[in-house]
Amino acid sequence: MLGLQNVTHRFGDRTALDDVDVVVRPGRLTGLLGPNGAGKTTLMRIAVGVLQPDAGSITFGGQPVTAQMRRAWGYMAQERGLYPAMPVGEQLVHFARLHGLPPQDAERRARVVLTELGLGERWKERTERLSGGQQQRLQLATALVHDPRVIVLDEPFNGLDPVGVAELADHLQARTRAGAIVVVSSHQLDLVQDLCDEIVMIDQGRSVLSGSVTDLRASVGTRRLRLSFARTPDPDWVTLLPGAQVVESHADAIRLALDGEVDPLAVLDAARGVAPVVDFGLELPSLSEVFMTAVGRGADTPVEEVTV
Amino acid sequence: MRTWWADTWLVMRRAMREGSAARSWRIVTGLLALVGLAVVVVPSLLGDDADPVRIGTIGEASTSVRGDVDAWAGSADIEVSWVTLDVEASPEEQVRQGEVDVALAPDATQIVTRSGLDPAVPTLLAQAVVGQETAALLADFGLSAEQVTALQQVQAPEQVEVGPARDPGRAFVGFMVGVALYLALLVVGIGVANAVALEKTNRIAEVLLTMLRPSQLLVGTVLGVATLGLVQLAAFALPAGVGIAVNDLLPDAGAALVDVALAITWFVLGLLLYTFAFAALAALVEKVSEVNSVTTPVSMVLVASYVVAVTAGAGAPQGAVATITSILPPTAPLVMPVRWASGLVPVWQLVLAMVLTVLASVAVAWLASRVYARGLVGTGRRQSLREVMRVG
Repeated sequence: MLGLQNVTHRFGDRTALDDVDVVVRPGRLTGLLGPNGAGKTTLMRIAVGVLQPDAGSITFGGQPVTAQMRRAWGYMAQERGLYPAMPVGEQLVHFARLHGLPPQDAERRARVVLTELGLGERWKERTERLSGGQQQRLQLATALVHDPRVIVLDEPFNGLDPVGVAELADHLQARTRAGAIVVVSSHQLDLVQDLCDEIVMIDQGRSVLSGSVTDLRASVGTRRLRLSFARTPDPDWVTLLPGAQVVESHADAIRLALDGEVDPLAVLDAARGVAPVVDFGLELPSLSEVFMTAVGRGADTPVEEVTV
Repeated sequence: MRTWWADTWLVMRRAMREGSAARSWRIVTGLLALVGLAVVVVPSLLGDDADPVRIGTIGEASTSVRGDVDAWAGSADIEVSWVTLDVEASPEEQVRQGEVDVALAPDATQIVTRSGLDPAVPTLLAQAVVGQETAALLADFGLSAEQVTALQQVQAPEQVEVGPARDPGRAFVGFMVGVALYLALLVVGIGVANAVALEKTNRIAEVLLTMLRPSQLLVGTVLGVATLGLVQLAAFALPAGVGIAVNDLLPDAGAALVDVALAITWFVLGLLLYTFAFAALAALVEKVSEVNSVTTPVSMVLVASYVVAVTAGAGAPQGAVATITSILPPTAPLVMPVRWASGLVPVWQLVLAMVLTVLASVAVAWLASRVYARGLVGTGRRQSLREVMRVG
């Protein structure tokens, strides 16, 4: 178990992190979520020892973390941390050696990981000749080449297309199921809500929510009813419904937040009375809605404005 | 301690591999080797000192004149050859046509010399003629053969020329060592600065710092880039040095060897002093393009040291400016090797300069590793030195 206890960090007069607690358990993929500038990267850098916290401690299995322990971890920084002119294989072997593997193991593991990530044919290619997505995978390979027990990835989904996101998600879930301690950060809350088991939400340097994703989404107490109409209905019909508020509204589709006591089927019947319904669904609030509720910006605030 | 070096070696080896794989590095190294070779080969191809001076005489020149000229020319390291001239043509005509360089008229009353010829040989010839005729007169006056020989052995005082340096050839090598040191330190310094800035701006440094201590990354990078610089220096210096040794261009090869050994020592000391400062400042950048401006303070010090070395150090090695700047860092690594080649520097000054440079290097390396460690992880904008030193 990886623990960050009461971590505080200041840059000059600005407090970047204020008494933040994070626990990452083996087998539970954990997301560190929050808008840009919330303090996620600073927290990750403190976890991996690049920055020293002004207060608080980092422990692994209850013991203070040492530089020797961290060397066996895998860390991927937010930007592309690769040597552009180095051949792919040589680069990966170099990182494996720095992670403490002996020469033969380093090369063997490098070949295994590159094949796993679909870069097996690129061993001799210069890194800068790879596409953006391939470089992202190579960077991931540098963090995983030594089969680390602790994996810390800062915004690993940035710049990936949907296929890339799905592949990376599968890979991380496999590692997590195999018993690794995995923590990823992301500002795209809804992107990771189906990937993470546990999350810690950070806003303005403070931890605002933490727990299992399912529990957090259920804890808000409201549900979302999504309705698609065959034609645009008269917008006034919703205002007549008690306990239902509009979250999103387009010409022929609408999302309603329903209070706990409201029967969704009654609302569906009312909707069918104003226009033919072609599709509907009942959902828990998304993670960004949970986040907005938690930081008091209101569930009605359009999601895009904060999850830039 | 073993792992500290083992990991530092990994960093150093990577820097050397990447650097030496670059086409630009290979081309520059090849060119330097060619220039080093050319420095020696070209002058000896163009050299005109190989031809002996041809002395023409009409009829058989007196054996004693020939003997005297041969003996004196031999001791002055001048080669002469003797040519018997055509009796019909005038000596002037034969010199003008290039048959000989110097011609002695039949009655020994005239020496004809090709214009532009080094005056040494005609002077020797004249002295020999005068000596021979004086000896004949003295014998007529009734002096014995011993007395005549004694008179002829009276010698003019030896003339000694004095410049700013004891040996101009050695001083010139010292001057060139100064130029090479300056270029090498600048090239390696900027190479280190660029390597550090690249590692910082693409955030490799951040990942590396989870596995390495800042000191390992700093020292490994500096040593790797410096080794590449040393190889380039050797690519230039080895052919030049071998050529100089083979052609015997230096009268005092032993002193020159000591000077070169000292130059390598100063290169290492200069690297310690300057490259750590370059690395520390480069760790403050946000973009690689800021490297030049952020390292300007160190480059300026290096340029200033170079200017002092080639002016005061070479021109007035015993002056106050040269003496002080050759002992004190940060000018010592460039001024002392140039000044040392004058052959006039007491050993204690050399030792003092080295000790002071080592002490200054330790201080700079300590400061640099603090700035470097903090600069590397501070991102978002270019940092100032003051800000990095203040935090923590």
